[in-house]
Amino acid sequence: MQSTPHRTAERTPHRTLQRILLIARRDYLATIRTKAFIIGLVVAPILFGGGFLGIALIQSKPDIKERRIAIIDGSGMVATAVIQAAQEQNAKELFDKTTHRQLHPRYVFETLPPAADPKLERLALSERVRHEQLFAFIEIGPTVFEDAPPASSDSKPGPVATYSNAGGFDEASRWLAEAIDEGVRRVRLARLGVDPTRISGALAGVKVDRFGLVSRDPKTGEIREAGKKNEVAEFAVPFGIMLLLGMIVMIGSSPMLSAVTEDKAQRLVEMLLGLATPFELMMGKVLGALGTSLTSSAFYIIGGTLALSGMGLSGMVPFAVFPWFYIYLIADVTFLCSWAAALGSGCSSPQEAQQLAIVLLAPIMIPYFLVAFVMQQPNGPISTAMSLFPPFTPMLMLLRQAMPGGGVPAWQPWVGLAGVLAFTLVMVVAASRIFRVAILVQGKTPKMADLVRWAVRG
Amino acid sequence: MDAVQITDVTKTFGAVTAVDGLSLTVPEGSVYGFIGPNGSGKTTTMRMISSIFYPDRGDVRVFGRQMLGARSELIGYLPEERGLYRKMAVQPLLEFYGELRSGRKVTAEVETWLKKLDLAKWAAQKVQSLSKGMSQKVQFIAAVVPAPRLLILDEPFSGLDPVSADTIRSAILELRRGGVTVILSTHDMQVAENMCDYICMIFRGKKVLDGTLASIQDQFGNDTIRVSAEGGTQFLDGLPDVEKVRDLGQVQELRMARGCDPQQVLRTLIGRTRVNSFSIMKPSLHDIFVRIAGPEAGEANLAEHAA
Repeated sequence: MQSTPHRTAERTPHRTLQRILLIARRDYLATIRTKAFIIGLVVAPILFGGGFLGIALIQSKPDIKERRIAIIDGSGMVATAVIQAAQEQNAKELFDKTTHRQLHPRYVFETLPPAADPKLERLALSERVRHEQLFAFIEIGPTVFEDAPPASSDSKPGPVATYSNAGGFDEASRWLAEAIDEGVRRVRLARLGVDPTRISGALAGVKVDRFGLVSRDPKTGEIREAGKKNEVAEFAVPFGIMLLLGMIVMIGSSPMLSAVTEDKAQRLVEMLLGLATPFELMMGKVLGALGTSLTSSAFYIIGGTLALSGMGLSGMVPFAVFPWFYIYLIADVTFLCSWAAALGSGCSSPQEAQQLAIVLLAPIMIPYFLVAFVMQQPNGPISTAMSLFPPFTPMLMLLRQAMPGGGVPAWQPWVGLAGVLAFTLVMVVAASRIFRVAILVQGKTPKMADLVRWAVRG
Repeated sequence: MDAVQITDVTKTFGAVTAVDGLSLTVPEGSVYGFIGPNGSGKTTTMRMISSIFYPDRGDVRVFGRQMLGARSELIGYLPEERGLYRKMAVQPLLEFYGELRSGRKVTAEVETWLKKLDLAKWAAQKVQSLSKGMSQKVQFIAAVVPAPRLLILDEPFSGLDPVSADTIRSAILELRRGGVTVILSTHDMQVAENMCDYICMIFRGKKVLDGTLASIQDQFGNDTIRVSAEGGTQFLDGLPDVEKVRDLGQVQELRMARGCDPQQVLRTLIGRTRVNSFSIMKPSLHDIFVRIAGPEAGEANLAEHAA
């Protein structure tokens, strides 16, 4: 009988770490060498930023076709003032002052007397709108000068009404309403004997500059003036960095679902489980995905920083939140990839796994819906609570931290981080328990009760 | 030292008891074969030895040590369902598996085995470009690099053509000559008879046979007659004290009832037709398998063997 030395270092931390790293390296290299990954690096930001790009493109090509408006003036006094106010407003904004390119449509008006049968008149004008002879028509009632005009209702229109077949976001009606408002105001002032040209100066708005807070330099004691607030920096930078975090986490974690299911379906798992424990296998896969995410993030962060620097906007790069960005990225990818592996191990086909993607990505998707609220009240109680809720902390705390002058109390990111790390640890343990059992179950899909039982008891 | 000691092991999956109070010992350096119908518990037992499954009850020891939750470079495992990364090239894949098991570089061993199994020229090819037989050879190499002390092979010859099967068989026997203990499962009774030092039959989660081929056959005695007679089976009906006739084509196997006189059977047969050959022998493993697990096997028969 051959006597072979009994090598039994199988479960030492060193061998466990070695196996995890080997699996991670294989998965990482297998991913980043694919065309899909390289294409995804370019396509993902286009998809995520596509909406903004689309809006920008639409705004760069405005509809400048002439718009003809009919006015039925029941008061007999307002139409001229409304037309004058509208044309003044139109003249101010019609062309870009620098490029002289037309930005808005030109409005042309025709005045009509009230007919004997208002219903028939409205119908005839509506037909003209349908046949694109008119863009819209305005009906000004005789009660427009009353101090407290009767309130409008769905069944009974107010003293002034606009009619058009525009959609829900009817920018033209809003524009016309401003012109009507101004026209009616002028006639009212004239009736009171006040010169509208004098009053308009008195009522002109005051320009208000927005600043952050003044502070004292802790080293020199010198008072530092507050910086002027920049709307782009206030919105685009925090939202952009949160969008980037969510995008990279999604790119890193969502393929894990189908990858694990595919490994299971192709019977690779049993071979691997003969070589590594389920925990080692899962953590290797998670680390591999983390490596992929870090590679993607490095690509975007370096690329974005260079691009902003090239445009002379390096001051907008939020260098201070980059360490937090990476801490949150690591925690989020680890947590979500663990669960993707656990859920994927319970599925019997990649198609089935894809159906679970929406559940998995909820911690990324829900914060997107809260962006507007958090940006309006970054330190309000609800924003604070939501950003301290561990599944949402990476996205929402990062958003708050990235807001210039957001004033997040210093303790909150650390408490949030502690919560995220504890939550991630608990989730990884639960996921590895599910993975260990589910990965070898063939021919049936575990029920939710099974997953909970495995997560709790192992 | 015994390579594997399994003591009173039970494993259940929900309401199904896959392995029920199983105990067995695999001597080091032997070839130990598991036989049994599909779903009898062979794969579950091998997975427990490989620490892929943990037993619900009982004890599994490999070379005297409990392996609960550990993975050992001492064990090479070839699962029944073949699993290879289809998009990886052959040699990097084998080096990955070998390094995962041993924690060291195994390039030289991989190259040796690729040459030995005539796969050297495919080393740089992706797995997805290989034929089924070549893929199985690759999978076999993954189980034996680096050389294990215990090699567990679940259906190693399943789906292989005779040439590939011979190659794998020679490799297994060579490893065994080098001191490797081999546990294999097979549905091919010829493989079990020819390759295995010890055979264990598992049926419905319980061990029903365990021992050398000779000791197993001894349990059944010389109750089988192999006969070649002109006219084949048509003259074999109604022979005295013959319980069953199994037609193998050119020859027939007769199973005698307890206390049957084979001379009387021969005399009756000669009276009916010309007998070319007549031999009294122990039952084949195939016949024993069918007696235990076939449709004719009764619960009493099973209980007798499982006891």
